Amino acid sequence: MAGTGAGGNDVQWCFSQVKGAIDDDVAEADIISTVEFNHSGELLATGDKGGRVVIFQQETENKCQPLSRSEYNVYSTFQSHEPEFDYLKSLEIEEKINKIRWLPQKNAAQFLLSTNDKTIKLWKISERDKRPEGYNLKEEDGRYRDSTTITTLRVPVFRPMDLMVEASPRRIFANAHTYHINSISVNSDNETYLSADDLRINLWHLEITDRSFNIVDIKPANMEDLTEVITAAEFHPHQCNTFVYSSSKGTIRLCDMRASALCDRHSKLFEEPEDPSNRSFFSEIISSISDVKFSHSGRYMMTRDYLSVKIWDLNMENRPVETYQVHEYLRSKLCSLYENDCIFDKFECCWNGNDSVVMTGSYNNFFRMLDRSQRRDVTLEASRESSKPRQVLKPRRVCAGGKRKKDEISVDSLDFNKKILHTAWHPQENIIAVATTNNLYIFQEKVN
Amino acid sequence: MRRNSAVRASMCRLDVESAVKEVGQSIGDVLSSPRYVLGRGVKRKLVDCEDPVPDLPYPLQRQLVMDLCLDKLQSCHRRSEPSLHRSVLLANTLRQLQQEMRQEGGGLSPTLAAACPAHAAPATPRHTPDLPPVPSDCVLAEEALPSLTSCHDLIFGSFEITNSTSYLTDLAPDDIFDDIDTSMYDPSDFSVLAFPSLRVGSGAPSTNGEEGLKTFSSCSPSSALQHRLSDLNDLDQIMEILVRS
Repeated sequence: MAGTGAGGNDVQWCFSQVKGAIDDDVAEADIISTVEFNHSGELLATGDKGGRVVIFQQETENKCQPLSRSEYNVYSTFQSHEPEFDYLKSLEIEEKINKIRWLPQKNAAQFLLSTNDKTIKLWKISERDKRPEGYNLKEEDGRYRDSTTITTLRVPVFRPMDLMVEASPRRIFANAHTYHINSISVNSDNETYLSADDLRINLWHLEITDRSFNIVDIKPANMEDLTEVITAAEFHPHQCNTFVYSSSKGTIRLCDMRASALCDRHSKLFEEPEDPSNRSFFSEIISSISDVKFSHSGRYMMTRDYLSVKIWDLNMENRPVETYQVHEYLRSKLCSLYENDCIFDKFECCWNGNDSVVMTGSYNNFFRMLDRSQRRDVTLEASRESSKPRQVLKPRRVCAGGKRKKDEISVDSLDFNKKILHTAWHPQENIIAVATTNNLYIFQEKVN
Repeated sequence: MRRNSAVRASMCRLDVESAVKEVGQSIGDVLSSPRYVLGRGVKRKLVDCEDPVPDLPYPLQRQLVMDLCLDKLQSCHRRSEPSLHRSVLLANTLRQLQQEMRQEGGGLSPTLAAACPAHAAPATPRHTPDLPPVPSDCVLAEEALPSLTSCHDLIFGSFEITNSTSYLTDLAPDDIFDDIDTSMYDPSDFSVLAFPSLRVGSGAPSTNGEEGLKTFSSCSPSSALQHRLSDLNDLDQIMEILVRS
């Protein structure tokens, strides 16, 4: 596997491509809300606030030049979800795509699950490069022929045509969630998947849309007693009976579906005691976990809270094995971030192909690469200014206080409207997709 | 929707003030691209305010946070994207601060007492809209608190998505199978057609669904599917021949 041996900091990242409108006038519908590579990395899907899914395909590399760059070009675009209106509550149900998850490929077609707040859909994306011609009863344009004019019979034939990529909804999994869906995760058995909302997690069979099993329910009998919500959930990559879910109180629960039908009692509870020296009014808010991801190996999991990324060994519940500060300079700004609501931003995180480097986003269109093996980290920026072809990204530094050095940017100059919440890493190569508000940046490892 | 102009963290009085002088030095440096224009000698909001005192007395700091909390909780419904997660975090923070204050024996500010008179419309007996200003005793605090907790139901209760819209959004199963062309090559289509009760469309009555399930499990789908797959392979070969001709 080319390129995965190198740590995040031996790797130099270069700009490859940027997708999306150039102008600064952002249409709300274009705001990217999720990014996901498929299992081979050949396809890259994005979902946006307008309910659309855009899939990019990696061009097959030039075989003569194995180190040449491969580009991602639009493969398919479709409207996945439409806005709905809940008449009883007078609330609009957003069409924003919260998550996309690919199914492993089984035949020529590709399948993905996409979800908004309420409904999950299974989409089939297939290619068509042949078209039947020579029907007896129809003209080529589809009009029916006058049957009295038909004097001979012929066999319709398939003729090549320009490649057409079609997306069609194969299953719609609806009406199973009362609260807003935040996660979906396909099981390693390739037959089931889970969907999680604020208070419940449901287990589905991919073929069955009219029923699902509720496997976690943390809704209290009295809503006044509600103090904790589910923030993310994921199946273990290899053990089909195991899944985890994170909470707004900074805990992660690992559940084994073999133990009981309703997994209200966790098998393991991962929680780190709070550092008393860091206590503030906002301690609980910043401890809320915004994302949880298993490593590819299945041995570790990573959680993202507001200021840090933690790596947990599944065998150790009382504390993470590694903790990385994403933007510690924000700790002294928590009140301002609370005032402007940024403190509630939900950042995602991701692993590289061999679990040696993790990545997460920050503000000012910065994103962070945290190298686990070399214990180093780097801050990079996704910006139009650094968008010349193959331009190497320069590390960024934020000055927390005191004298600001050249090339550093002070905390007060950070743009908190430019946040990178969604990032994805190619499963095998050093190619990353980073979503700013309405642009998708693709960076690749520098190739000499 | 937030305008896409640069948003800086407007300085909250509680935050540590980084050297405001730094702002002036940004002129002419590497980072002085137009995007950072607001960093160029433009006075931060904080400077315009009265005293930027980072060390407010703790009770005042706490009061500020609580005021913000209440503000946000009350405006929950006005948000375009109501979030249960956010509301729970706010409520927890508020509760924590209240507990702290109760333990200290301090009184509650009028802002808390007037917390959600509007929300607690089905008023609890202890809710008194005409609270005297500047309460400083615990008794009043106790009285005011229940009215806040009774808000929780109203705050948290509004996040449920009802199923009333299902009849508007169910995808008509027929639409998918209108196009005959696509059915030729894909085995998964076949399995769907063979077991019609498992089709897309969540409105299937439960009995149908159960039958469908039984059919699914009892007719050893693997062998049926295998058979159909080999049929399709033959079909594939025939198509190949036709295309070449």
